Amino acid sequence: MAIGETIGKGFMEPTDRVKRLKKVIVEAMPVIETERAKLVTEAYKENEGISAIMRRAKVIEKLLNNMHVTIRDDELIVGSAAQHPRSSEVGIEFSFDWLEPEFDTIGTRANDPFYISEESKKELRELAKYWEGKTLSEYAMSLMTPECQACQDHAVFNVDNYKLAGVGHYVPMYEKILEKGFSGVIEEVNEAKAKLDYTNSESIAKKQFYDAILITYTAAINLAHRYRAKAAEMAKVEANPQRKSELEQIAKNLQRVPEFGATNFWEAIQSYWFVNFIIHVESNGHSVSPGPFDRQLYPYYAMDKTITREFAQELIDCLMIKFSDCNKVRDEISAAAFAGYTLFELLTIGGTDEYGNDLTNDLSYMVLEAHAHTKMPSPSIGVRIGNQTPDEFVYRVCETIRLGTGMPNVFNDEIIIPALTNRGIPLKVARTYSPSGCVEPDIHGREFGWHDAASFNSAQIMQATMNNGRLFGDQVGPQTGELTDFNNIEEIKEAYQKQMAYFVSKMIEADCCVEKAHADLCPLPFEAPLIDGCIQQGKSAEEGGAWYNFSGPQTYGFVDSGDSLYCIQKNVFEDKKFTLAELKEAIDNNFGYTGGPEGGSQEISINWKYGPNSCTATGVGTNESELEARIYEKVKAMLAGSGSLNLEELRKDAMPAASELQSECPEKYQYILKVLQNTEGYGNDIDEIDQYSVFTAGAYTYEVEKYKNYRGGQFQAGIYPVSANVLYGKDVGALPDGRLARTPLADGVSPRAGLDTHGPTAAANSVSKLDHANASNGTLYNMKFSPAALAGDEGLKQFAALIRGYFARKGMHMQFNVVDKATLVDAQEHPENHKDLVVRVAGYSAFFTTLAKETQDNIIARTEMQF
Amino acid sequence: MAVPIDYKAEGIVFDLQRFSLNDGPGIRTIVFVKGCPLSCLWCSNPESQQRKPTLMYDAESCIGCKSCVRTCQHGVFSVENPNFIDYGKCTGCGDCVAACPAGALTIKGKTMTVESVIRELKKDVITYRESNGGITLSGGEPLVQWEFSTELLKACKAQGWHTAIETTGYGSEEAVESVFPYVDQVLFDCKTTNDKVHKACTGVSGEKIRRNAKRITELAHTIIRVPTIPGINNTEEDFESICRYAGSLKGIKEIHILPYHILGANKYKLMGVDYRMPAEIEPLENEDVLPLQKVVEKNGFRCVIGG
Repeated sequence: MAIGETIGKGFMEPTDRVKRLKKVIVEAMPVIETERAKLVTEAYKENEGISAIMRRAKVIEKLLNNMHVTIRDDELIVGSAAQHPRSSEVGIEFSFDWLEPEFDTIGTRANDPFYISEESKKELRELAKYWEGKTLSEYAMSLMTPECQACQDHAVFNVDNYKLAGVGHYVPMYEKILEKGFSGVIEEVNEAKAKLDYTNSESIAKKQFYDAILITYTAAINLAHRYRAKAAEMAKVEANPQRKSELEQIAKNLQRVPEFGATNFWEAIQSYWFVNFIIHVESNGHSVSPGPFDRQLYPYYAMDKTITREFAQELIDCLMIKFSDCNKVRDEISAAAFAGYTLFELLTIGGTDEYGNDLTNDLSYMVLEAHAHTKMPSPSIGVRIGNQTPDEFVYRVCETIRLGTGMPNVFNDEIIIPALTNRGIPLKVARTYSPSGCVEPDIHGREFGWHDAASFNSAQIMQATMNNGRLFGDQVGPQTGELTDFNNIEEIKEAYQKQMAYFVSKMIEADCCVEKAHADLCPLPFEAPLIDGCIQQGKSAEEGGAWYNFSGPQTYGFVDSGDSLYCIQKNVFEDKKFTLAELKEAIDNNFGYTGGPEGGSQEISINWKYGPNSCTATGVGTNESELEARIYEKVKAMLAGSGSLNLEELRKDAMPAASELQSECPEKYQYILKVLQNTEGYGNDIDEIDQYSVFTAGAYTYEVEKYKNYRGGQFQAGIYPVSANVLYGKDVGALPDGRLARTPLADGVSPRAGLDTHGPTAAANSVSKLDHANASNGTLYNMKFSPAALAGDEGLKQFAALIRGYFARKGMHMQFNVVDKATLVDAQEHPENHKDLVVRVAGYSAFFTTLAKETQDNIIARTEMQF
Repeated sequence: MAVPIDYKAEGIVFDLQRFSLNDGPGIRTIVFVKGCPLSCLWCSNPESQQRKPTLMYDAESCIGCKSCVRTCQHGVFSVENPNFIDYGKCTGCGDCVAACPAGALTIKGKTMTVESVIRELKKDVITYRESNGGITLSGGEPLVQWEFSTELLKACKAQGWHTAIETTGYGSEEAVESVFPYVDQVLFDCKTTNDKVHKACTGVSGEKIRRNAKRITELAHTIIRVPTIPGINNTEEDFESICRYAGSLKGIKEIHILPYHILGANKYKLMGVDYRMPAEIEPLENEDVLPLQKVVEKNGFRCVIGG
């Protein structure tokens, strides 16, 4: 620390225990375990012919009463969903067909490998026989019309997220359990049940629902006592006196919580964790977000007169590590999309009470300290920042970001609160919001937000617009005219809007089918009491029991569409450098590069790569052509939910990003490509350019908000890609902005990689021109800084000013990667030296070395803002 | 009474650099104006020296399509010319830049009114406010286009912004009296106190600069900045002497050391001009100037490396 510096304070060393706990997680090879799949299948078999909610209660009862009780060395907070550290159970009832074909590659795949033993494979194969045709995923697909399925086959959108697992994506009302315990829930349900009037036919379903909760919470209490017994038993045989007394205390804590309300900080954290891990056991979902931790836990910290700050800090550190102990195995495509073993659990600090008073407290700072101690990718830390937030806290947040883990990310109260009131949420309630998942604002404990409802590829809308509604040669969208028929940019924009309206309507259908599937098959009884409204209304969250119901499908690729429109306007209509016909031909031939498909262009099967006009026809043999076609078939099959994709194969054979220009290529393609690539893009604070991305973003968000979901709530759009901008870029052919086929799309609301050349304030200004409030399911703005840029107190102050400045302009969210390029490149070459390097991927952070090379490359390529 | 501001006044500006952190307090936008009476050997903005627009050509980006040859009305480009470009013929019209598909050609310098510069500067107004930043006028030498500089600075003050200026101090008395009343902070370039060295390295005598310095330090808060060049002014004796000189001026409390870098060297190539600094002179690292920092601090000044 330089002399005279007072803002940057540095961070303490974690305790040895915390270091040891962290080591176990970082070094663990995640394992696929079979216990959950086995118990779930047994329970389903044993409980035929009863209501869905009751069946789910029987499933969770079976799980909680029979699952392994696991207490790891050094732990102060106990409760594990899997026996091995950082390992995963299988949500077999949601989907399974993807796993078996991946058995032999899952241990070695590029993203998020898992070890699976031969014995486990055998066991899972056996269990799978029962599930054929019975999973939620198959049921959901069966509800959709052929047109809706066609859109998914043609990679316009997918709703896989919830077809493949539980919904998750809510912020549980932990404070209820901290205060009253599981027994309080039982009491509450008994009271509601006692009031039922059985002459009212609705009461029949309500009684089922209440009984299901009673069964579930009784089993949950039982599990806590099984843990208590285990701790006591371990204490008896423990030789180390210190550990012995810790185990005795753990047992004592479990005697009290989570059955009853917590009476001190340690009990509160234990109770908190128990809720969290049972949620994982129940639904195998993700993005169940801890929410406003400092707000929920502060009363227990304040009331605890005996605890030292150091020990409280250690407990929070331990909790942070527990979050990364939970894991979830996904199919290869999802693993690539959500790379980094992440569960998207967003823990929030800062913000306001319902009257708008600042709520920053000691725990807010201690969470930042805990992150500095543990540097785990999960949970994500989100900070609510409003005008009221103290500068001191913002500086501390910046100092934490400067550590380079991409956390915390920051959320703007001043735009999110009005965005939520615009959705009909009362102001006092909106002020208590908490971000969840990646970036999705949620009314914690009162909303079932179905965030992340779909991934919608806006770049495909550009393709459909250029091809009269054809995608990959098939007439999927409406006929809005061939590109060469348009006379001005307004006509193209009008066609874009029409294509958008059609495809959004199909996405709404797909979403509603998935929502119905969950309501019909998988209402969740442990979850219901944690979302207010469910007990009062006597139905599960999946059936619409929450007070606030939304569905939030997100888009990405709108910048690619926006810049494409501007490139057409500037180069074709204004400067007349070439005609639409010339542009179209160049695009259909991927500007002369190998690598098709020029999705949506001509006939993909014919002209995909080797059509008569393609200059690659002379340069590449047909074997590769067949291979490409085969790989693409697999992608489509995967998107249709009927198979899985081998990404290794795809990567090896179909990466066109750096493909060589064929020397036989007509010069005209090269000329057009150069012109397009040298046309300025969104991200430089130039209104006449940015307006096109404002248009393409709005074309999506304003269309989405027209619809109601299955639970009677409103659809609200988000704009964030997770890391899907890399993956789904593979589905998109060449674009008029000079982007080559299959290369990554722009990331979230960020400018296209490398195109924001006027510095971070110009880029941030461009981004802030979007109507963030209308994208009320969240937007994601990713910036990358080198550590030198943030050095010293001056660096912190300027960093804070940049955040406050973007927020003053009504930007919604920011996150930062603070590592220099050299470090990232070195980590790519020598992963063994950088095992603990955490980077921001998109909406979440992950260990850099666990990411696939192309995701790594994308992170490296993002503009490094130099101070 | 408010002073009148001529928003239509025109100047030749070659860059507006937003989010600048090292040239004045907070986050700033730097307005680079054209024209400099000095021609320092190490100049990292050679495109700033001439007052008229400057053509730059990047051979590496060029795809050889000859669009420029076909477009240019002034015969600047010719395949018969072994150098391809005759920079002297360029009028700065910019037609070639618009025609080039590869982004290989740029024209540095365009005429802007005070009004249009202010419009660009306003884009970061929130950032100035949040960071206690503002705008910095740089060059070239802002005293060359001093009428424009004056009007621009007045317009910035009218917005309530903090203003800084980077200057060599070389200009007419009239220019000094006109510009500096509207400047909050002067970043005053001081190369050496040895006039022979000064003349040899910058092309001008330091006498006029020293005379102006006296007046400038009376008019505005001033920080001395020393571009520190190996073999020219990087000895402890050089800095002892600079400190003595700084002490003779009014109100100097701070001296910045700017270590020599070669980030501008490539620009000479783009302009078809030789970089005159000997190639064997290597850029300085911050560590290299630590002894010099000690000298400055010993003499009672606050010292920042890199500004």
